[in-house]
Amino acid sequence: MAARILLVEDNEMNRDMLSRRLARKGYDVAMAVDGREGVAMAGAGAYDLILMDMSLPEIDGWEATRQIRAAGGPRVPIIALTAHAMAGDREKAIEAGCDDYDTKPIELARLLGKIEALLGRAG
Amino acid sequence: MTDFTTITGPLTPELAAELRHELRTPVNHIVGYAEMLLEDAQAAGAGERRRALEETLGAAREVLTLINRTLVPTQATVGSEALDALYASLREPQRKIVRIIEGLLAAADAPAGDAELDDLRKILHAAEKLVPTPANVPVAPVVPVESARSVTPTATPGPARLLIVDDDAENREVLRRRLEREGYRAECAEDGRRALARVAAESFDLVLLDVLMPELDGYEVLARLKDAPATRDIPVIVISALDDMAAVVRCIERGAEDFLTKPFDPVLLRARISASLEKKRLHDVELEYIRQVGRVIEAATAVEQGGYRSGSLADLAARPDELGRLARVFDGMAAEVEAREERLKARLRELKADIGIARTSTELTAALDGDALETGGMFGERYEIVGTIGRGGMGTVYRARDRELDEEVAIKTLRPELVSDGALLERFKSEIRLARRISHPNVVRTHDFGEWRGVYYLTMEYVEGITVRELIERRGRLQAPSALAIGTQLADSLAVAHAQGVIHRDIKPQNLLLDDAGVLKVMDFGVARLAERTSTLTEAGLVLGTPAYMPPEQLLSEAVDARSDLYAAGVVLYECVTGRLPFEAATPVALIARLLSQDPTPPADLTPDLPPALSALILRLLAKRPEDRIQTAAELADLLRRFG
Repeated sequence: MAARILLVEDNEMNRDMLSRRLARKGYDVAMAVDGREGVAMAGAGAYDLILMDMSLPEIDGWEATRQIRAAGGPRVPIIALTAHAMAGDREKAIEAGCDDYDTKPIELARLLGKIEALLGRAG
Repeated sequence: MTDFTTITGPLTPELAAELRHELRTPVNHIVGYAEMLLEDAQAAGAGERRRALEETLGAAREVLTLINRTLVPTQATVGSEALDALYASLREPQRKIVRIIEGLLAAADAPAGDAELDDLRKILHAAEKLVPTPANVPVAPVVPVESARSVTPTATPGPARLLIVDDDAENREVLRRRLEREGYRAECAEDGRRALARVAAESFDLVLLDVLMPELDGYEVLARLKDAPATRDIPVIVISALDDMAAVVRCIERGAEDFLTKPFDPVLLRARISASLEKKRLHDVELEYIRQVGRVIEAATAVEQGGYRSGSLADLAARPDELGRLARVFDGMAAEVEAREERLKARLRELKADIGIARTSTELTAALDGDALETGGMFGERYEIVGTIGRGGMGTVYRARDRELDEEVAIKTLRPELVSDGALLERFKSEIRLARRISHPNVVRTHDFGEWRGVYYLTMEYVEGITVRELIERRGRLQAPSALAIGTQLADSLAVAHAQGVIHRDIKPQNLLLDDAGVLKVMDFGVARLAERTSTLTEAGLVLGTPAYMPPEQLLSEAVDARSDLYAAGVVLYECVTGRLPFEAATPVALIARLLSQDPTPPADLTPDLPPALSALILRLLAKRPEDRIQTAAELADLLRRFG
């Protein structure tokens, strides 16, 4: 069965492109358009992995990640997607409860590597 | 989000990182969508498309390399020179991507899948964002109506081309660099003469003109640009150190679009250039629009002259705006006219066949005896009698040769009692004068009215052919196409006559001639009036043969108008399609009584294969009250033409 990925991203073009590219790689992709929706969907559905944009309206990715982790349940791997490669981002993401982190713009091959690594570890 | 269009550098590391992200995001979109499209193209095996997409990817990667080289994450600050160089270097790959994708969009079949076109548009959209320039941030001061925007006539693709005219090298260079950074293509001329030469030889979208220059100053250059039709429409912004009102007024008076004083504010400069370019674009759109309207008018003229080919406005018809709608409606109408003409031709062919058969079977029955004028004799100085065509209530019709003009004519002599009253004769003459003005292929031309040895006569165009009366008698009822061909031509002739104020008053099959080509010619316009004096109920039979074609108002000597002719046309059509009259009786008086009191049997009841709509149309013409009939001959002609 295809792995289920929840993509939390507010930018429509990013969402459209990344979801379609992941779908082409055989993933089953669900989408949330802001942090609040992301938290709600993560709590309601069984996802194998979450891709979390960190700069989101309503509640941002950092806060959304904290809420997902605080809610308990099975620990779904979360990859943080940040806009800027700034020193300390990685540590900050791990601290917030993420399992890995990638910078935007997304390079698909690199991101796929991280997704597969996490899913392999989880599976 | 930071607006990088207002930042000229140097950049702090934070700003550099933000700019790096901002520039890379559209690249990422371009790469992402292009890779997906490429995967699809590989599946479809479309080689050319694949190459185009690979080229797009190559250009996008080049952009990434350029960005990464200048905006290194670890670097402390980014200087303005480096930033300028980066922006300038991004334009080439940007143009390349835009060109390729626009090409793919243009080549894409509409039904090839909207998703695919959508993705191409997304790439285009992303490519436009590659360089932060005001061109990407629309500054359009006026929002044009959607219809006008969709025209974009001969708009030069790519960035606008500007000419800077300034004698000061440093000023030129500073301005040129600034404009290049804004995304324009800027060129320079160092004096007025060179500027005029370049504008005349090349194509510029806008001229930035210094006022104080040796030799030709800005005023003179402006005047010459605005005088020449070829350069008049190029917007000119005058830049000068002068800030007195008089200079501004002088430039505006000479046609400058705008005026800026040195040292100028870059934001103002940008806004004014954008506004001037937009104004120019709208002006071009307007001109193009007017040109296209001209095409529709030309097409209308072509239709009038019969030279229009439907579909020749296809490109206009594809426009989504009002003009497109006009072109579509127009083209549809023109196509309908063409189709009608075709139908008419087909009807005429049938009619011709009918006439041919009728004529050959009766060639020898035309001989008449007891003529007043002898064949071979002369009538007046001019006419040699060739034979007798027919005899009716009004007099006798002869075929004669006009020796003066060496052509055949018809001579109609009038019975003496019809022209014995002087006042009546005058009225008749004026009717004939009126009728002579009618010039139409479906009307027999009246030439002259005269008197010879006490015999009053009319000369007319001679038509070789048979009357509709003879046609019906010999062929029986006619098929719908033949009847429609007769009816349409009759209606056309009546429309022309009515427009001239002439009512025929005696339309009947005996007065309708058909030549061998199937062309109908209506005789005796203006003549029937002469007979009216004696058209009382008792004498009607004698003078007009039969009242069968007269509407009630004419029989009752009430006001007669164009609609009376339409009633008669209805009787003719009735007879054509059924082979009999709507009302028949043994005596004229009984006939009139029936005509005034009874409704005719619907033609479709007598001719089952008649189109019901044609039957209904004929009944409408036969309405007792004029106001219940079809009201004009033009309307009748139009209705008859609509029958498939």
